[in-house]
Parts: sequence; C-alpha cells; structure tokens
Amino acid sequence: MSTTDTPMAFAAGDEGTTSEREAEIILASFEDPAPRRFGPKSRRRILRAGGHLVAAWLVTLAFVLPIYIALSSAFKSQDQILANPLAPPAPFTFDNILTALQRPDQLVQSGLMNSILVTALTLIFLIPLASALSFWISERPPVLKGILLAVFALGLMVPPQVVLQPIVSLLQTIGLQNSYPGLILSNIGGGYMAFAVFVFVGFLRTLPSEVIEAARVDGAGDLRIWWTIVMPLMRPATATVGIFLGLWVWNDFLNPLFILGPLQGQTITTGIYQSLGTYSTDYGQLFGIMLLAAIIPVVGYLVTQREFIHGLMSGASKG
Amino acid sequence: MSTQVAARRRGSGTRRRGLSLAPVAWIAIALYAAFLLYPIVQSVIQSFTDRNPLKPESSFVGFANYIELFQDPRLARSLGFTLVVVVFVTVVANTLGLMFAMLLNRSTVNYRVMRTLIFIPQVLSGVIVAFIWRSILTQNGLLNVTLQNLGLTDTAISWIGTPELATLSICVVVSWITIAFSTVVYTASLQSVPAELYEAAKVDGAGVFGRFRNVTFPMIAPGMTISVTLSLITTLKLYDVIAVLTGGGPANSTKSVAYYLIDVAFTNNRFGYSSAIAIFLLGLTALVAYTTTGLLRRREAHL
Repeated sequence: MSTTDTPMAFAAGDEGTTSEREAEIILASFEDPAPRRFGPKSRRRILRAGGHLVAAWLVTLAFVLPIYIALSSAFKSQDQILANPLAPPAPFTFDNILTALQRPDQLVQSGLMNSILVTALTLIFLIPLASALSFWISERPPVLKGILLAVFALGLMVPPQVVLQPIVSLLQTIGLQNSYPGLILSNIGGGYMAFAVFVFVGFLRTLPSEVIEAARVDGAGDLRIWWTIVMPLMRPATATVGIFLGLWVWNDFLNPLFILGPLQGQTITTGIYQSLGTYSTDYGQLFGIMLLAAIIPVVGYLVTQREFIHGLMSGASKG
Repeated sequence: MSTQVAARRRGSGTRRRGLSLAPVAWIAIALYAAFLLYPIVQSVIQSFTDRNPLKPESSFVGFANYIELFQDPRLARSLGFTLVVVVFVTVVANTLGLMFAMLLNRSTVNYRVMRTLIFIPQVLSGVIVAFIWRSILTQNGLLNVTLQNLGLTDTAISWIGTPELATLSICVVVSWITIAFSTVVYTASLQSVPAELYEAAKVDGAGVFGRFRNVTFPMIAPGMTISVTLSLITTLKLYDVIAVLTGGGPANSTKSVAYYLIDVAFTNNRFGYSSAIAIFLLGLTALVAYTTTGLLRRREAHL
C-alpha cells in the first residue's frame, strides 16, 4: 500500500466501462479522491498501480501454489514431479487420469456416483422441507417463533462430533446403520436443516407481507401459497442454500465415514481417505485421483461464483 | 378482475381454505428433533453412565466421567493442542485475510480472477486439501525435494513427523483454508464502506494509517465478527485435516478435542466418557462463540 500521501489513481481506470467506473469508485475510497492530474505525477501513478497489480498477483500465486502443484502434477509422471515439483507439465501426460479411472476398485467412478446420489437426495428432500418449515415458522406468533428460532440456532453451533455417536446408535436401532438412507436421513435432519432455516427465515423477513396476505384473502391455503408464491420469490435464498449445502454435503467427511462404515461403497471424500494411504508416495496417481475428485466442486464453484460470493456476503452482513 | 376476486371472496366460507403447511412443518421438526435435539439429550444422559456398546448393561456413575475428564492427561494435551491451533488460525487467517482483502479490493478483471483463485481452498474438501499438503510436507515430500534441489538443506526435514513441526503444519494448513474464507468476508465488508468517509478523513488530514485505523477498521466490524467467530468455531471441530495429515500423531501430539472424542467413542467404545467430552466440547464451543460475538458486537456498537 502507498506509504505517503502522494495522490495515486488507478492505471486501468482510464476509460469508462462500467466495471472500470466501479473500480475507480471503490479505489477512490481508499486512494485519492482528487481528479486525474497530468504530467510526471501521472506516470508515477501508473507505475505504482502497476506495482500494486504485480504485488497482488505475486501474493495470490504464492497463496495458490499448492493448488498449482496438485493440478500440474496430475499431468506429470512421478519422475517429473520429483525432479522439479514446480515445473509445468512438459511433456504432458494423461496416464495418471487414465490409471485412476482404470483402478479395479472403481474408487473414482463409484465414489463420484455415491457422492452425487447422497448430495442430490439430501438437497431434494431438505430444501422443500426447510423452506416450508421456514414459511410456517415465520407465520407463527412472535413468542413461538422466537423459541423455534432459538432451537434451530443451536443446530448452527453444535460440532458434528458431539451428536455423531448418538446418531449412529439411533440408526442402529431403526436398522439403517451402514446405509445410504441412514446417511441421507441424518443429513436432512441434522445441522444442515438449521442453516437452511436461518437463510430462509432471514429472507422471508425481506418479503412484503402484502403478497401473502392478498393470496390468503383470495382463499389460498398455506401449502398452496408456499408452493406458488413463496417458493418462486425465494429463489435467491434457495440458490444460496442449495449451493452451500451441496458443497458441505459433498465435502462432508465425518458422517459418511462413521455412518456408512468401512464395508459400504464410499462417497468420494471418504473413499479417497480409506484407499489412498498406500498411494501417498505415488504422487502422479495421488494427484490424478485428487483432480478427478475435486473437479465437480471446483467447476460448480466457478459456474455459480456470483451467487456463491453473494450468498456468503449476505450471510456475512446479516450476521 | 375485481369482480372475480369479489366473487371468489364471497364464495369462500372460511378465510383459510385448502391444505395447511403444518404437517410438512411437523415432519421437518420431527427429523430435526430426532437427528439433532435427541442426540444432544442422549449425550447429556450418557455422560452420567458408563455406557459401552460391548457391554449389555450400563449404569449411572454420577459425575465420574466429568471427574475423569478433568484429570485426563490426554484430554489436557488435546485441549492444549486445540487452543494453540484455534488461536493461531484465528489470528493468522483474520490478519492475512484482511490484508489480502485490502490488496485485492479493486474491480478490474485481474483482481476478480485473483479473488476467485483465493477462495478455492474453501471449495475443496478438507480431505483433498490435506492430501495435497501431505504430499508437500512428508519426509520425501515435494517441499523437501524442492529444498534439496535448491541446495538449501541436505537432510529431509520431518514436517509432520515431530510434535512441534506437526502442530505448526496443521496450523499452517488450516490457516490456508480459513484465509480463503476470511478474504472473501473482508472483501465484502470493505466494499460496503462509503467512499465519502475516506474523503472526509483525508480532508481532516488523516494519513494511510489514520484512515485505516479510523475508517476501515471500525467499518469492517460486522465482517470481523463473522469471520473471527466462524474461524473459532470451525477450528474447534477440526477433524478431516488432522485425520489425513497426521492421524493425530506423532505420539498423539496433534489430536484435537474433537478428534480425541471420536477416538474415545469409536476406538475405545467408551460411549459414556466420550459423551462427557462431547458435552465439554459443546460447552466450550458455546462459551467461545458467545464470548467472541459479545465482545466483537460491543466493538460494533461503539461506532
């Protein structure tokens, strides 16, 4: 950051696309609000902004270096990786990916299938349930609403380890231990529900009550109002809940590990954990499998990035 | 249109008609009760018993588990380790997250790409992150290979093989994940600071440091509350990174309370004692969450 009070404008902000304008406005906030000046000073300013850009890239690249290592190593042979871990993959090889896909235990394929199944079924049941519950809660009298929200706030805070053993025992009692229905059911009923309820109830507060009153006057029942009016209006909240819960359920480790048990086919996360101990020295193999395992969440993140960050921000500002 | 509404209104006998949402809501509440509330109650009850799944009967033992808890050197050790990691990660992730956010708080394509890249550690599962770091940090791992290639060391350093370095490694890896999150939260906070405040500060003759202290720092208070509290809570329940990176070793030096609790429950089958630890962890989490939110909220209120 600048150390003196010398004015500094933003080099790239010279011409006016919308984002550049935004950039200028944001920058002006912690740089200098004065209009552009000309002469030797402006060259210095451009140099400084360029320096800032270079510094920012260096910091970012240093930070994501482990990701670069994993990504580039997925396309290198073991010898190449060990000769120079930082070198780019040249020659480029798909051997690691192919070997990972041809494993006799089908670790990647079955793991991905199981993860997709668990994540999709959890979301398909959890989102409508939590959404309907939230609408119902938001229509309760203040005292009951307060109590219900306090009970769900608890679920946001409880570490999963605290409830894990009783959940496993409960599933054993009802005969669903070591099964996917058991895992999905505990996903739906556990802490994720609390998160969904908080996002939905928070969003419902921002909806004008007239819309719902009008429908009620028209004689629509709660179920119908929820399905035809509330659900479509809540789409942004549903996107936030879907994205975050999708990611968390996908990446979950503890529940699949202890609820599915070692004998069942595993989700990708626990499958990798249980199978890869012996692979820790075959880096090409390891990174090939990592790449295949990480590709769905990373692509999902890149595609939904706008909603992702927006959801995180609204969550953050709501507190 | 209005006649239609009027006709329909006249036609409906009761104000509420059609299906109620209550049954759906009750199903959801029942599931939540079964998979979250009941397990907590179950933990509380079990914590006063010697329940062990290998024994048919369990009996009440009063506060014996809680007394053992305070005298258990392994728990004390895991608590010490947990606190080191929690404090390290919270301080480092929030300091660096704020610095990254300030460095990247510009809206051109370059900076947007950088922010996208920085969040990726949060998107990957802890297991994958830990496997990547393990291949970097093990004895014959990529860090030692690089150091030896550069001629910086002759002998391989045991980054996850000695208690102190293993603790440091866990701290670094978890910070790496948490920085990604903090950066995004602080970026969001910074973007909500109105530019006029900086102008006003500038007019008043505040320098870069003065503007940070008097404008940026107070204005990002709500973001800081979120970022600090979530760093604390998520680090308190740390499990997957430890499981992959060190497995709790060497010599139990990197077993967090959350990890030790799982060990006691599923490896030693001591459900009673593990429940007492679970209640202890729950209390600790509640205390930490309540205290930090309280303290940080007060800072927000002082604006």
